[in-house]
Amino acid sequence: MPSLTDRIEGLRRAFEEAAGKAADAKALEELRTAFLGRKKGHLTLLFEDLKSVPAGEKREAGRLINELKQAVSAGLEAVERRLGAARPAAAAASAGEDLTLPGRRRYVGTPHPLTLFEEEIERIFLGMGFTVEEGPEIETDYYNFEALNFPPHHPARDKWDTLFIEGDLLLRTHTSPVQVRVMVRTKPPIRIICPGRVFRHETPDPTHLPMFMQVEGLVVDEGVTFAHLKGTLEYFIRALFGEKLKVRFRPSFFPFTEPSAEVDIECIVCGGRDAACRVCGGSGWKEILGSGMVHPQVLKNVNIDPEKYSGWAFGLGIDRTAMLALGIPEMRYFYENDLRFLRQFGAK
Amino acid sequence: MKISLDWLREYVAVGLGPAELADRLTMIGLVPESVEERDGDVVLDLETYANRPDTLGHLGVAREIGAALGLPLLEKDWPLVERPEATAEIADVQIAAEDLCPRYCGLVVRGVRIGPSPDWMRRRLEAVGLKPINNIVDVSNYVCLATAQPIHTFDFGRIGGGRIVVRKAQRGETLVDLEGRTLPLEPDMLVIADESKPVALAGVIGGQASGIGPSTRDVFIESAAFAPASIRKTAKALGLQTDASYRFERGSDIGFAPRAALMAASLLCGMGGQASRGLIDRFPRPPKPRTARLRLRRVAELLGVEVPESFVVELLGRLGFSVEAGAKHAWRVTVPTFRVDVDQEADLIEEVARFFGYDRIPAEFTPAGSFDLDVNRKRERLARLRGALLGQGLDEVVNWSFADPERDRAAREGRTPVEILNPISQRASIMRTSLLPGLLENAAWNLHRGIEGVHIFELGNVFGWADEKHSETLRLGILSTGLRPGGSWAEPAAETDVFVVKGAVEALAEALRFEPLAFEPRDHPSFEPGRALAVLYKGQEVGRLGALRASFAAGASVDGEVYAADIDLEALFGKQPRPFEVAAAPKFPGIVRDLSFLVDRDVPYGEVARVLARANQPLLEGFELRDRFAGAPVPADKVSLTVRFRYRHPQRTLVAEEVDRAELEAIGQLRSALDIRLREGKN
Repeated sequence: MPSLTDRIEGLRRAFEEAAGKAADAKALEELRTAFLGRKKGHLTLLFEDLKSVPAGEKREAGRLINELKQAVSAGLEAVERRLGAARPAAAAASAGEDLTLPGRRRYVGTPHPLTLFEEEIERIFLGMGFTVEEGPEIETDYYNFEALNFPPHHPARDKWDTLFIEGDLLLRTHTSPVQVRVMVRTKPPIRIICPGRVFRHETPDPTHLPMFMQVEGLVVDEGVTFAHLKGTLEYFIRALFGEKLKVRFRPSFFPFTEPSAEVDIECIVCGGRDAACRVCGGSGWKEILGSGMVHPQVLKNVNIDPEKYSGWAFGLGIDRTAMLALGIPEMRYFYENDLRFLRQFGAK
Repeated sequence: MKISLDWLREYVAVGLGPAELADRLTMIGLVPESVEERDGDVVLDLETYANRPDTLGHLGVAREIGAALGLPLLEKDWPLVERPEATAEIADVQIAAEDLCPRYCGLVVRGVRIGPSPDWMRRRLEAVGLKPINNIVDVSNYVCLATAQPIHTFDFGRIGGGRIVVRKAQRGETLVDLEGRTLPLEPDMLVIADESKPVALAGVIGGQASGIGPSTRDVFIESAAFAPASIRKTAKALGLQTDASYRFERGSDIGFAPRAALMAASLLCGMGGQASRGLIDRFPRPPKPRTARLRLRRVAELLGVEVPESFVVELLGRLGFSVEAGAKHAWRVTVPTFRVDVDQEADLIEEVARFFGYDRIPAEFTPAGSFDLDVNRKRERLARLRGALLGQGLDEVVNWSFADPERDRAAREGRTPVEILNPISQRASIMRTSLLPGLLENAAWNLHRGIEGVHIFELGNVFGWADEKHSETLRLGILSTGLRPGGSWAEPAAETDVFVVKGAVEALAEALRFEPLAFEPRDHPSFEPGRALAVLYKGQEVGRLGALRASFAAGASVDGEVYAADIDLEALFGKQPRPFEVAAAPKFPGIVRDLSFLVDRDVPYGEVARVLARANQPLLEGFELRDRFAGAPVPADKVSLTVRFRYRHPQRTLVAEEVDRAELEAIGQLRSALDIRLREGKN
């Protein structure tokens, strides 16, 4: 037994010395083979010799050999780390690691804020069983106006100031024509939202641009009521802006809905406490979307019997809603595509 | 539309303070955009609706607020000081275009001395933003703002023959209007003429020659009804909008025309005038009163709330409708002439809802009997694709669909652009035929503001004409220029290259679960010759990528190398993704071998990959390029390629010898096909 103990101690010292001297990968591998090699490694031989140790001492001897094996393994790893540290790319070696250096991060692009906001709106409606529908951006007067109960030469068209192409072609002023197309194509029940680009003949100012993003929604089914419009839109607005937000419905006019309602939310900037509030002008309310019960004439235009079916619809400007929610003062920021502005939304 | 509370109180005894009044008006749909206290009066600026011309006067607003508060409308008499001569003896009115002028009323007031109007009238006009001019002009403005019925006053002495003819203009006729402008008249425009010439543009503006002047003594008062569409077309064609045209194009109260004329005459009589006896009232075909059915059941069905029957009947009465009980819980409702917006049940239900109060209607979820399981595939794909591109480090942008024709042409897309007839500006006068000019503009904007690298994409439609039809195609544009994204102390960023764009395109195909895209050299005028690739999916071209032509980029003030891709998503989305297949993770270990080859410089890697892909080695699970190196010690006409080969057998552990054999075979194939050799000292 003493001879085995001495042999183990001697090997430990020899390993430590060689490990201290190992200067390259080759020396490291040689050292590994010398000690842990499967056929002639020192430790393999020691375990071999353990078989001839008397039964009473076997336990202690085994423990010592195992300890050596662990020390050798740890020692080899330390050498490996030391050698690795010599390479410049892995400067963060053992002791001199500067943990205050910034972490390695992979650059991931930023979705456009209007996309982000649109997706958020979409998610809320998908959760309520709506599907998403799209349609052309160049429309005909019929789908954009006439089918929606705008008579030709009616001043109601002034609010939807139009960019014309030629003949009866125009740039859609809202995504309502998508609703019409869906109603023509399918039978109720209908539960859709229609997001997309829309165009108006607007002189640019902080809250008006000739192009912006809109999302409209439509429900047509038997027994749909104004109460359903209220409940669903209230839920939507609270999901978007916050659970405790006050919401107000007030009468308005749109040719394609009857009754029509404008929906206001309490001013999220001043809560009605600032008479000079730039968002609500001191009224305490901010208009957020237009809505109403689908006009029976619109249903008739698409061959849906208004005695059997009823529906509600809404429309909302994504840009202006995002401006309100995120505190963005000017609409044009969305279309300047200044990366210093856009990249803030990566964190959103 | 400005409303003075003092003026309003002439029609209804409102006792509310300004804040409460504004709130009540808002909740019936008359929204004050501003409320202003002014010399003891309160002025509310109400938002107006195209379908409610009746609220474009104090009388109509009074009717609304009165109905909301349960207050009666106050009637007022308009007494006249009459002369013995009958109107018909001194004036004659003829309607030659009944379809455009269904009613025309008039009378003469003599002996009015031109001068300032009484203070009370001036105050009211000023309160609602009008400048008092003289008593006669003020009276016509006053009547219009009080009742929403526009009236017109002529200097009767200048109406040739005392004859009023309402007719269409004749070709070549002109009219010098009150502002002194010469209006060219078209044959479809309605005019008021005397025996020889037009004296006013009906319902829009009066003529200078027949206008009220300092010498005017006798006034002809016109109060008429005109066809709204005709007034609108005329006003639009001439670029005019007046208080009168604004009201007539929305629809005036045909029943009120005589009363407005009498009111104006009465006011002038109060200023010393004397009215001719008897009103001329040409009303050849009085329309039948409009009626609509209203069912109580329908009110509940549409509003989702039970409204008491008594409320419905009483409200409609207060709003001026006459309600006649029909079947049980149903009525025949006659619509007053001032409500041009009401012609069916839904309109009446809206009235009920407005005054019952939207806030008293409960809020409920919209029940769904079934859900549509259809997913919008296109949107799902767009979302996947967007995620893949963001993951590649590209930022998303959204550009105008409009384009500057010159900049758009620089993309040389070859499509005939869709032009906008009435653009906001020349720089936005067509619909874009390519996404690339917009992306270049974004690059210029950001590079000029100190951003070192711009790597962006946009998803959007491009437009064009083809075979007399317009097209609208969804495309993806990608642009990369400057320093690559994500540089840091650990990995300093290098200049971007075409492989950033190519990688993004490869990634998007993968995200869509499509077969890998193929690329083939193919020139396109937007790209530098010899540096463009066609992007192919199963043989069909679905886009292109490469180095943008330097002159195209420079035209947009971008100087460095710009790489871009332009993908036709419409074509790509038309393809079927491959069915999703899943395999268990391999059970047996594989063997990885890296081999370095020396390849002639003019042999593209694509060729090497093609040979290896065709190798038909059952044990070769896959291979990928790990390194590409040129320069010493590699000979100048060669490059070194290091390819990693992954070998595996599905049912057992590999033995080194079989991998050696497979490897030798691959090397042999590369040698015979492309004269590729293993790098010396590397094996």
